[in-house]
Amino acid sequence: MKEEEVVEALKGVLGPSLVESSVVKSGRVRLVVEPGAHRRAIEALKSKFGEVHLFSIVGADLRDRLELTYNLWLYEPKVHVMLKTSLPLDQAEVETVTDLIPGSILYEREVYEMLGVRFRGHPNLKRLFLPEDWPEGVYPLRKDIKLEGVL
Amino acid sequence: MSAIDLVIGPQHPALHEPERFVFKVEGETVVDVEPRIGYVHRGIEKALENRDYVTGLYLAERVCGICNVAHSLCFVQAMEDICGIEPPERAKYLRVVAHELNRIHSHLLLLGVAGELLGFMTLFMLIWRDREDVMDLIERLTGNRVNSAFNVVGGVRRDLDPKLAEDLKKVLERLKAKVKRYREVFAEDPTIRARTVGVGLLSRSRAIDLCAVGPTCRASGVKADVREYRPYAAYEDLDFKLVWYEEGDVWARLMARVDETIEAIELVERALEKMPSGPVRVKAPRTIPRGEGFSVVEAPRGDLNYHVYGKGDVKPDRVKIRTPTYANIPAVCEMFKGGYIADIPATLVSIDPCFACTDRVTLVDMEKGTRRTVSVTELLRRR
Repeated sequence: MKEEEVVEALKGVLGPSLVESSVVKSGRVRLVVEPGAHRRAIEALKSKFGEVHLFSIVGADLRDRLELTYNLWLYEPKVHVMLKTSLPLDQAEVETVTDLIPGSILYEREVYEMLGVRFRGHPNLKRLFLPEDWPEGVYPLRKDIKLEGVL
Repeated sequence: MSAIDLVIGPQHPALHEPERFVFKVEGETVVDVEPRIGYVHRGIEKALENRDYVTGLYLAERVCGICNVAHSLCFVQAMEDICGIEPPERAKYLRVVAHELNRIHSHLLLLGVAGELLGFMTLFMLIWRDREDVMDLIERLTGNRVNSAFNVVGGVRRDLDPKLAEDLKKVLERLKAKVKRYREVFAEDPTIRARTVGVGLLSRSRAIDLCAVGPTCRASGVKADVREYRPYAAYEDLDFKLVWYEEGDVWARLMARVDETIEAIELVERALEKMPSGPVRVKAPRTIPRGEGFSVVEAPRGDLNYHVYGKGDVKPDRVKIRTPTYANIPAVCEMFKGGYIADIPATLVSIDPCFACTDRVTLVDMEKGTRRTVSVTELLRRR
């Protein structure tokens, strides 16, 4: 099975940094890695399975933590990899992947402005969509944010 | 020579949305680009967290009027993914019909606009005239010309009657002949070729690196179409043929769209022929269980994906929408580099942007601090 092949390949490379791995359904794999290990995971996917397409970077506020999901498509085995990592709410910092996947440049800026995740090493970590007079430190997709007075 | 900043945007009445680019130019050559988007960011992802799934679906459709079927289809598929609902076979075929009709009118719209921007007004008017026939078919199928609200969780809202199926075949056959004629025009007309061949180049490796999507990447030799690599709805049974070009210029991107329009017409014809009978909808719960759903569809401009977090409630916890034009912005910035100022409109229109920018242009001379505004018509005349 191609899905298991992807999981096994990542298990070999990441070892204990791979917290959780499962085949969700045909053609989709869910991998949870420790913060920082996502870069090694993407490098391994690129070197083992060739061309990788980044569907999206999804940030979600799960109230006790932030969850980042890198939705990756592997063209060759035709598998969708949901690569997940969790970040603490008060110190949301993670390494950039813009050098591995240049197409992620805007996606990281969006997650930064909407959820306040700082991407270390991003070449131009500025706001993307929000207006220029939007106050600093107000991240609209955080659950605890009050938008009264801002809008 | 020192570089000058050339600000384009954000107002643009001709295309659909405002957008601004700051171009660094040396003489007539673009050396760098800084995009500024977000003028029409409406906070829909946040708004969806406060709406139940039923009303949220209508909002999701309004992310983009032109490709509204792609948005509703993608959102319902993500919800069906969480619930584990499988729509009936006939509904899957009807989804293909609506989705492809949507693609046909979207591509015709862009091809017309491209004709206009290249100074080919007749082509613009002819293509838009033919696009009206498709809009009428969409109205008869879904009840509305633009925002169709056709897809619902568990199937589609309306069935197709045999009379309409006959008319669809008739109108599309006539349209196919016309699109084939336009294909000859785009392929051979010297004016179009002079403005598009070799302009706005994007190599295959850069298209992959920058995660370009849709006809933009397929015109650079990337054989990636969601309908082919991850078939949804009924595409698996419909013998879909992938369209691709390897030139990577504006011409190839326009040609890819002409060919895709023909392929879309044929897909509708095949779907009508093979369409099984039966129900078009299964009953779906109002509450979506806790869990994650993901769906990706091939919208007219490229792959569109929705990522939904359900929380066992009538409202979602988080909905992430990644639209295709957003994904193509790094790629279009790459295309501008090394090109001429006069090629900016043609290059921008070739990604079929769902935003706008090129009608009002401000030229800023950084050294003298002067600023002057020109219109796109003037910009085109300066060639």
